[in-house]
Amino acid sequence: MLTLWLGAYDQGLAYAGLALGTYLTLRVLNFPDLTVDGSFALGGGTAAVLITNGVPVPVALLVAFGFGALAGLVTGLIHTRLGVNDLFAGILTTTGLYSITLRLMGRSNIPLTDTPRGIDQLPDLSAGFDDEWGLALTLVVLGLVLLLALLLSTDFGLALRALGNNPTMARANGINQRRGLNIGIAAANGLVGLSGALVALFQGFADVTMGIGSLILGLGMVIIGESILRPRTVPVALIAAVAGAVVFRGLIAVALALGLEPVDLKLVTAVLLLVALAAGRLRIPGLSAQSKPEP
Amino acid sequence: MSLAIANLSWGHPLPGGGWRQLFDGFNLSCQSGQFVVVIGNNGSGKSTLLNLIAGTLKVGGGTITLGDRPLHRYRDHRRARWLGRVMQNPLEGTCPGLTIAENLRLAERRRRSGLSASGLLGLRPSRGDRHRYRELLEQLGIPLAGRLDTLVGELSGGQRQTLSLVMATLGAPELLLLDEHTAALDPKAEATVMGLTEQLVRQLGATTFMVTHSLEQALRYGDRLVMLRDGQLIGDWSAGERAGLTPASLRGLYGSAIVGATEPNPADAPAAP
Repeated sequence: MLTLWLGAYDQGLAYAGLALGTYLTLRVLNFPDLTVDGSFALGGGTAAVLITNGVPVPVALLVAFGFGALAGLVTGLIHTRLGVNDLFAGILTTTGLYSITLRLMGRSNIPLTDTPRGIDQLPDLSAGFDDEWGLALTLVVLGLVLLLALLLSTDFGLALRALGNNPTMARANGINQRRGLNIGIAAANGLVGLSGALVALFQGFADVTMGIGSLILGLGMVIIGESILRPRTVPVALIAAVAGAVVFRGLIAVALALGLEPVDLKLVTAVLLLVALAAGRLRIPGLSAQSKPEP
Repeated sequence: MSLAIANLSWGHPLPGGGWRQLFDGFNLSCQSGQFVVVIGNNGSGKSTLLNLIAGTLKVGGGTITLGDRPLHRYRDHRRARWLGRVMQNPLEGTCPGLTIAENLRLAERRRRSGLSASGLLGLRPSRGDRHRYRELLEQLGIPLAGRLDTLVGELSGGQRQTLSLVMATLGAPELLLLDEHTAALDPKAEATVMGLTEQLVRQLGATTFMVTHSLEQALRYGDRLVMLRDGQLIGDWSAGERAGLTPASLRGLYGSAIVGATEPNPADAPAAP
């Protein structure tokens, strides 16, 4: 049972990048970014190709971040420069990314279990615990949260938050909306690409379809985290996103432990998200922070 | 800084097809530091004029020059370096999800985008920033000095508009645009915001455009009063000339032809532009 929970904890941390990226686009920039479905698989695919070709894992993770960021930048540019609607811009990029990821991988699935340069390359900081990579992952995610919290507390971060909060006001105070969106969406998708790479490492394979439903998954994690911690400040909101990712994977682990098949996971995901979204209207205690029921 | 609008043209498509040319060869200039009050009916072009100056609307032709800067060539966020603006809706001029101190910090940084590399240095608002904002609000007699960490979304409309006004005057703008900024407020909040407006405009010394529907405000505030109709200047009075006007005479002019052609009340007649 402990292994199950530790597995869920590690998986949750691997998905933390997706949750943080979704928080950045959806909550900070107020931009519904569908690119994540493509950039998640791109990150996973890129890392798998690099690792199976002998590239060290940390370098592969960095490249996955970079490719994810590039994908985000493309969506940003399509939206800000060509004036394409935010949802369409993301869908266009994701559609194109499917082919790009497939080209990059050369086939639809790359296993990582047999490679000696896979997850074992991450430093073992288990200190005697069962959980070999938990501490390393915890440190990486803590570092990401700290970095993002600091970034969002500078003038730069303040400008990004203002853009999502009130773009008219932000522009009237000298903030370049195009540049802000491009940088923000790129950074978010970088995190998502990194998350895709970590998830590929943990599940032992990268698949070209692994990104399907990522946006809704990220959203679910953010909402569950917000329901639990009810954040009023940026650092707490970031911690909530990570906590949401871990709790979400925990709930999935419970579902699996109860005998559900892996093929049912998308349905379980949808139901969990629905419960989190409807919590406000249904006045479910402890989960009703997000939305007030209409009179 | 003086403002010169020369040969301005701007039009828009009509919902049912066709085109409405609102401004066609419009001219208006004002001296540095002048406080100009703009009145006119709905659709006369008052707010459009402010939007064209601020860059939220793109000019069709002509020039808008602030000092020696061709303002019309810059995008709106670049113009914000020299412009302070208060919108009509209290919800529009502030960021409700940020605190009072964070909103003030954004406004103070207007001359730089905040997205440059230098924007990554230091946590903001810093302790020094907060001290400065507290002092500023206390000096202006605004009872928000002790609430710097309150989310702006939790403030009343009047408080938000007061904050919006303070923000518009931070960062030493050379031109201040006030777009019916008291229209959504109750009489008490309106009096507070207008009192503060006059105080800040005089302190700042910036050239100011204030659009209003309130004829009482039009006759009380500013150094100059101009009236628009259908994108044309139909009245232009200095503070001295304005003394002969009453709300009734102004109301009459709203419905009349260009001033000087038919005047509803000869006794109240202003000087023609």
